[in-house]
Amino acid sequence: MNLYQPNLVTISDLIDETPDTRTLKLTFQDPQLAAGFDFKAGQFGEYSVFGAGESTFCIASSPTRKGSIECTFKAVGKATRAMRELGVGDTMGFRGPYGNHFPVDRMEKASVVFVAGGIGLAPVRCVIWNVLDKRDAFDEVTIVYGARSVSDLVYKRELAEWASHADIKLWQTVDPGGETSEWKGEIGFVPAIVEKAAPSAKNAFAVVCGPPVMIKYTLPVLQKLGFADDRVYTTLENRMKCGIGKCGRCNVGPVYVCKDGPVFTAKELAALPPEY
Amino acid sequence: MRAKTITEEELCTFVADLVAAGTRVTAPVRAAEGKVDYRAITRFEEAAIGAELPRRSLKEFFLPPTEPLFSWRQGKGDVTVKPVSVSFPPHVVLGARPCDAAAVEILDRVMGWDYRDELWFGRREATTIVSVACPGIDGSCFCTATGRGPDSTRGSDLMMTPVDGGYFVEAVTPKGEAFVRTHAARFADVADPGTTVAAEAFRARARSRVAENLTLSLPALRSWLGSSFDHELWRTIALRCHGCGACASVCPTCHCFDIVDEPDGVRAGTRRRNWDTCQTARFTVHASGHNPRTDQNARFRQRVMHKFSIYPDRFGEVLCTGCGRCARACPGGMDLPEVLKTIAALAGADGPREAAV
Repeated sequence: MNLYQPNLVTISDLIDETPDTRTLKLTFQDPQLAAGFDFKAGQFGEYSVFGAGESTFCIASSPTRKGSIECTFKAVGKATRAMRELGVGDTMGFRGPYGNHFPVDRMEKASVVFVAGGIGLAPVRCVIWNVLDKRDAFDEVTIVYGARSVSDLVYKRELAEWASHADIKLWQTVDPGGETSEWKGEIGFVPAIVEKAAPSAKNAFAVVCGPPVMIKYTLPVLQKLGFADDRVYTTLENRMKCGIGKCGRCNVGPVYVCKDGPVFTAKELAALPPEY
Repeated sequence: MRAKTITEEELCTFVADLVAAGTRVTAPVRAAEGKVDYRAITRFEEAAIGAELPRRSLKEFFLPPTEPLFSWRQGKGDVTVKPVSVSFPPHVVLGARPCDAAAVEILDRVMGWDYRDELWFGRREATTIVSVACPGIDGSCFCTATGRGPDSTRGSDLMMTPVDGGYFVEAVTPKGEAFVRTHAARFADVADPGTTVAAEAFRARARSRVAENLTLSLPALRSWLGSSFDHELWRTIALRCHGCGACASVCPTCHCFDIVDEPDGVRAGTRRRNWDTCQTARFTVHASGHNPRTDQNARFRQRVMHKFSIYPDRFGEVLCTGCGRCARACPGGMDLPEVLKTIAALAGADGPREAAV
């Protein structure tokens, strides 16, 4: 078995998050791997449908929850459209975990602010559960999450769960016009809601993921709130094939996203040429 | 190990011995259309050693243009995956160009860092590379400017230098030494000290011939590239580039690849690794349609940056052996040695300005 041969996984559950976004729960067919598979929050994998090829996403479940992994995807390309066609019990391929990770250990004893937009909640959700599963180790937890419309919000059941926790400050928002008559959350773009939520930067870290335009306007807000750019983390996506630093596809200047990333601080991001 | 000599007659026997033992032998061969390619031979007489530079490098013998990574078959609800072998039969490359042999060793770094590419190293371990010192080909050669040379032993197990009546042979690696010992009857000790002198004279002539084409300060080049992502040079650099990727195809060090599934019917297929190139527009395009490298100038900048800044930063040496194939193959007239000369002038890193290319 060479580096590029995936492990076989079975789809053990699937949840339609939005009309075009789905979460798959994947269980390793090899019992030893199913019991022993480990990764760190923020790492990614190559998911494949045999016949359609591979696609790269983060592992959306938390490393604190063993036995299976989850991924959340939108059917936009060849492999993801094929993934969309699969059902519970079907077999897929998985290679990973690859890349670096969010420094969750470093965040212990500190406050954590999560900012996510749209499907960008997937990698952030991995860290959120990682933190919530060890809640006592962290100080304040703030989550700001937004999507274009109410129907575009992913992980709705988990948002409801987080909202019910007294020790989590959850801000949900939708873009103006994306609300429904029952919507009780905020209406506005994510950066504006972060400004409104105004989480304290004192002994705090921020984890940000979403569309490039959201990240672009959120970073200055965090800076204004006093977050140092080496305490703001995000995860970068670039097209990948091998995931292991060989195929020459994902580099942004001198940085190999698959090896040096996908997790970068805002400080590291600012030093990169604009090729992502 | 002391240097040896080998005659053309002994080389004939040598190739016959290898072939008889079941070893695959590859050498430069003059193809029907008159061009030289590295191809399998069964007799030494088929080889065109010391003729012009083969059209393609040795890369394809270690990273084939297309190769299976595994195959699968779908059953009822389950999938069976059949691995490919990562061990390969013995292979000898006879008459490799030093630029091509060096490239293989340079690529060992990217293929072996952190994750070890078993398909690449399986072929590397099975292969013995016997290079022949190059006299220098034409004005597109610039191996000496990349820190190597027409007599560079990098990547070679054995190095042969043409001398009267045959070749002067030096073992470069333990594998090369073992190879000479195994085939001891084919090699003779150097009887005439003049042979050593003649071999060195051949190599010195070749080095100075190639050095006339281009000289560079690689550290100055790298330092300029590292801080010049936004330089105006990149705005017009690739106006002549069609984005066809011929340069990457003939390049001994371009190693970008794609991974694609090739179905065989609806229930079976093979996942393959295929050569790819950063020079095409689709190389970096995301599924969303977003493309981080929007135009050909950006793509050509990536090629130059990867070879002369990114790879040296990461792996300690430039990703180029100065073979000049990209310049010879380009249908648009893009000329890497010329580009390097321009950058060197900007970086204050150029050598003698009167140097001819």
